[in-house]
Amino acid sequence: MKAGKLVKSAVLQIICIAMVVIVILPILLTLFASLKTGADMVNTSPLSLPPFERVTFQNFEKVIGDKNLYTGFKNTITILAVSLVFNVAFGTITAYIIERFNFRFKGFVVSLFFLGMLIPTFVTEISRFKIISGLGLYNTLGAPIVIYVASDLMQLYIYRQFISKISVSLDESAILDGCSYWGLFVRIIFPLLKPATATVCIIKSITIINDMYIPYLYMPKTRLRTLTTYLMNYANAQQGSWQTLAAGIIIIMLPTVLLYIFFQKYILSGVVAGAVKE
Amino acid sequence: MGSIARQRQIFIFTALFIPVILLVCFVVFPGVDLFRISATNWDGLAADYDYIGLDNYVRMFNDENLWQSLKNNMVYFFVHLLMIPVELAFAVVLNSRLRGAKFYKTMVFMPYIINGVAISYAFSYFFSPINGAFDAILETLGLESLQRHWLSDPSIVNFVLAFVSVWRFSGYHVILFLAALQSMPQDILEAAQIDGAGTLQLFRYIQIPSIMLMVDFVLFDNIRGALQVFDIPFVITNGGPGYASSTFTLYTINAAFKFSNFGLAATMAVAIMFLIVFIYIIQNFLIHRVVLKEGRK
Repeated sequence: MKAGKLVKSAVLQIICIAMVVIVILPILLTLFASLKTGADMVNTSPLSLPPFERVTFQNFEKVIGDKNLYTGFKNTITILAVSLVFNVAFGTITAYIIERFNFRFKGFVVSLFFLGMLIPTFVTEISRFKIISGLGLYNTLGAPIVIYVASDLMQLYIYRQFISKISVSLDESAILDGCSYWGLFVRIIFPLLKPATATVCIIKSITIINDMYIPYLYMPKTRLRTLTTYLMNYANAQQGSWQTLAAGIIIIMLPTVLLYIFFQKYILSGVVAGAVKE
Repeated sequence: MGSIARQRQIFIFTALFIPVILLVCFVVFPGVDLFRISATNWDGLAADYDYIGLDNYVRMFNDENLWQSLKNNMVYFFVHLLMIPVELAFAVVLNSRLRGAKFYKTMVFMPYIINGVAISYAFSYFFSPINGAFDAILETLGLESLQRHWLSDPSIVNFVLAFVSVWRFSGYHVILFLAALQSMPQDILEAAQIDGAGTLQLFRYIQIPSIMLMVDFVLFDNIRGALQVFDIPFVITNGGPGYASSTFTLYTINAAFKFSNFGLAATMAVAIMFLIVFIYIIQNFLIHRVVLKEGRK
């Protein structure tokens, strides 16, 4: 019995370690390549580090020395900050009202939001493109900001789940004490939603930092590259020079991986809450 | 009291005004407008265009490259479908008292949060025919005979890309299954264990039924995801060689933004919406009427 259990847990460990290897391998090998010189890319196996004395950081220096990387970083941060502020502001208030109030046309408003979640991503840009350019937002940071604020609605689920756990008597007594509805929301409800807001911000950050398509489509200007579109451009410029591209890949991967390492708990719970929509 | 009711109304109106306007202008209206555009020959720029009825729909059904793309989507669908039992098994293992389970959980979800463009380039390198890492691995294992042009052989490129897709998204499903397992009442499990139920029996009679809703969601996510595969082929092969690794969404996007045929592209977008809703209804029927009903007998 005991031996059987031991064998079983050994087998499970081996399977899990195999999974870790599969997850790590493409990243690790990219890291190896990023530390090689052009000559070592040819002379050494892609599966190994270069000999210790020939490990080079020149690829990283090259990427970090690229001015466009900073432009990309700055643009990503700007888009991210503005989108998050509006996402949180609109997300909290919308979820609060839908969860707590009954009003005329409520059914209609709720079904609008539901419809909004059904409409597929990517292909909607075919008709959205005209609206964005009609508003003069094409080739401005406004395009991704407006789209991120209006279209990704997962925050509503996270906030609604959270609000449903806050006691209604809190609202009632505040109103009886003469607090205005806005006062109630801003001073009492909003601060209580802080943990949910943290989850929303972290998950949205990852989605926005990683998004390629919206910035690629709406902001072709060099000055308006984000981290992700910067990498796309860099890849086209570095064709045939894997080692420098590899350094670029590692650098662009870092922000979300760091977010994940520090905020794993929020991310996992938020992802589950955003998926289970009933 | 009347003034509070009025205050309430003003509050609701002012609070919802901007979010609803944004939603209507940038999500609902574009979604609905796709139907109108699908009946035109609009090129995306011109101010005037003609309504051409169902011409685009006829053209879409006769478009061989689109059908080829849809077939490629099926590859992603089936590969991900085959992964569902594996994902479930991983969730069960990570839910057990396995040593290191926490670390494995961190690792299994990591690909999901990694920048998709960056990892796509990393995989281009991994499967590259020149100094590619995958070929090097095969060589180390003495399997040189298996070496292929992973990204340019039309008969395997979709499987390679589907593998990348599995690499990225399977962890998401594992975490969802894991959450479903963890939300299950522990006492039932323990009672069954005391009554002598083995791991397999636990899995079959207690864990599976209670996570059926999550399986339902993952299946739907799989369909939606498979139909909307875009960035992986876009970055790694750009649909090539020819249309060998094109996908429905990639083809649609190219029809609009590369070939300026917004009318036809909108038609395909409408088709994607219909396919998703249609499959969702069938799946719902199958799971709720057939599977769950059978379970009750």
